[in-house]
Amino acid sequence: MQRTGFLFLAPYAVSFAIFVILPIVVSFVLSFMRFDLTAQSSAGFVGFDNYREALQDNYFWSAVKATLLFALMIVPGLLVIGLSMALGMNAMARGQAAVRALVFLPGMLNIAVTGILWQWFFNGEFGLFNFALKHFGGQGQPWLSDKAFAMPSIVLMSVWWTVGGTAIILLTALQQIPGMYFEAAALDGASTTRMFRYITLPLLKPVMSFVVVTTSIAGFQMFGQAFMLTRGGPELSTRGVAQYIYETAFNSYRMGYGAAMSWLLFALISVFGIFQIRMMRRPA
Amino acid sequence: MSIFSNLGIRGSILGLAAIVTGIGVTRSCDGGGIVTSQHRVDLTFWNGFTGPDGRRMLEIIRDFNRENPDIQVSMQRMDWATYYNKLMVAAMDQRGPQLFVVHASTLPRMYRSGFIENSARLYSGSDPIPSADYDPYVLQQVKFKDQYAGVPLDIHPQGMYTNAEMLRAAGIQQPPADKASFMRALRLLTKKSNSGDASQWAFALTLWRNNFQSLIPQFRGRYLKPNGDADLNNPGNIAALQFLGDLSREKLIPPPENGLGWVGYRQKKVAMVWDGVYMLGDLLRLQGLDYVAAPIPQIGPQPGTMADSHVLCIRKGLSEAQRTGAETFIRYLSKNSIRWAAAGQVPARRSVRQTPEFASMPVQSAFARQIPFMMYPPRTPVLFEVTLEIDQAVEKVIRGNADAKTALDLANVNAQRGIDRDRAEQKIAPAGGIQP
Repeated sequence: MQRTGFLFLAPYAVSFAIFVILPIVVSFVLSFMRFDLTAQSSAGFVGFDNYREALQDNYFWSAVKATLLFALMIVPGLLVIGLSMALGMNAMARGQAAVRALVFLPGMLNIAVTGILWQWFFNGEFGLFNFALKHFGGQGQPWLSDKAFAMPSIVLMSVWWTVGGTAIILLTALQQIPGMYFEAAALDGASTTRMFRYITLPLLKPVMSFVVVTTSIAGFQMFGQAFMLTRGGPELSTRGVAQYIYETAFNSYRMGYGAAMSWLLFALISVFGIFQIRMMRRPA
Repeated sequence: MSIFSNLGIRGSILGLAAIVTGIGVTRSCDGGGIVTSQHRVDLTFWNGFTGPDGRRMLEIIRDFNRENPDIQVSMQRMDWATYYNKLMVAAMDQRGPQLFVVHASTLPRMYRSGFIENSARLYSGSDPIPSADYDPYVLQQVKFKDQYAGVPLDIHPQGMYTNAEMLRAAGIQQPPADKASFMRALRLLTKKSNSGDASQWAFALTLWRNNFQSLIPQFRGRYLKPNGDADLNNPGNIAALQFLGDLSREKLIPPPENGLGWVGYRQKKVAMVWDGVYMLGDLLRLQGLDYVAAPIPQIGPQPGTMADSHVLCIRKGLSEAQRTGAETFIRYLSKNSIRWAAAGQVPARRSVRQTPEFASMPVQSAFARQIPFMMYPPRTPVLFEVTLEIDQAVEKVIRGNADAKTALDLANVNAQRGIDRDRAEQKIAPAGGIQP
């Protein structure tokens, strides 16, 4: 019986080993190598040189800064907006299923489609946002071409794109909270705000913790959004670590250095992930 | 009952394994291509011609296949951005196409990877492509010491597209050719609406880096010193970038957030843009735009523009039959490059450019007038690093965040760091310069 189970698992296990485990091992080895695809004869082990270079590389640190900025903006954004939407949907007596489907719809688009769509929304000359602003007597804004606007614009698009999933997860968690807690609190004369503060939030904490950790991980890997909207500009202010890794490995063909930066990004995500889980586990 | 049920499971698996192994052995023996019969050679041709130019290339290939039944070429097109990655990885493992296109500016990197065959015998032998038919500067782009990395198919210089209707309305009969007439046109053609916003722009930047690079030769600038060191902050480059910075500062071009450029030109909101000859394919699909092409106006002390070439290359490790077939195809394309020119390119061969047919192509022939003054991007294996620094410098100046000298000084330091790192890794002596 156990053997049959393993047989069923085997196809996935094999593909997992080939396409996940093996690349991880290869990238780890590569991170200690000089491996330039355009000059393979110069390949060789260089110890920690790639890591040392990354830590002294201004472009790496500016990419870390952009990544952190994105993660710090998108995680609370998704949590607050997602929770608000979940609360709204939870309170709906009718039509919840239809709204749930609509909310989830943007997440069905891939990043290329989403990026092109929002490029037009943000366009300074013919874009939807500036059209609306001008229509109501305001001034057009440099959504993607000004350093102060570019990252918030990317975050705005990312929230629109992904908040549906977050809202659905939180809605499911909300629906798991037994109604008797709210009934008892109502009998004791608790206000809606106090019920939210002392019943809803504490009981949502495990799911919110999950949402924070998963959106943080996704945030740290930000690539497609900036690549489609700004290509990392203006002046590299929105180029995240993932994009810098991509450009190093596939434009400069420096595989070793790209691999080392990948492991540094992994370390960064791990540190933040562990920190977040510990913070969320602390008693209120 | 299928054949597999007769064989049984074990027999089927063994049979499939034998077929797979057989295919693998055949492919490894023939260098990755498929020799389908004793006389016919099948070749794969990769390129990034995803626009209308790709359809033109497909037509040429169909004709080649019809005229050469013993050689069958199939084309695979992909976006240039992903093309080079796929080509690099596939070709280095000898799995890539037998024939492919590489930009002249990208050749130093690709050639160093070691998968490009020396094409010297195409320029000699029984049916040679005459090297004298190329401008020496163009041929120099594909030469690495005594080897040729390929055959230049075309030249695609940057030039000026103007909206003739808008120019005429402003009383301008000819596209501006020098700085004075260009500046005059800028002032005449930019129109402000009642709200103070420009409702029509005389000129807009398209790809900022290319627009800057088009001015570099005009100001006698350069990218690298003869020894291969970075020289981005030379006085010529600074003057060229300063000119664009001044246009932005004086609000003679749309602000960066405006997003005009080529799209604005298509929509008749911009009267003049500088872009590549390959944009003609886009214009040919438009109705109602009265366009006239001209060389980039002479802003600096001499004429000049930026250009590049598509180079036809052969992968190393082919069988003799495949290599001969690939050479036959390259000769055919080169000879018939007037047909390729119709897609929005300037043929690399002088004899083709001298034909009446080419003279009847107004945009291509206007752009071709710049060939004696053109400059290709920096010839270095660290092209991406150098280009990124140029991008950063241009962006800072256009946005008014730095003056041209400061921006190019920083760009030069960073570009030199990339060059030094590459030299150290490849053990190339600086004195020898970069001789990829």
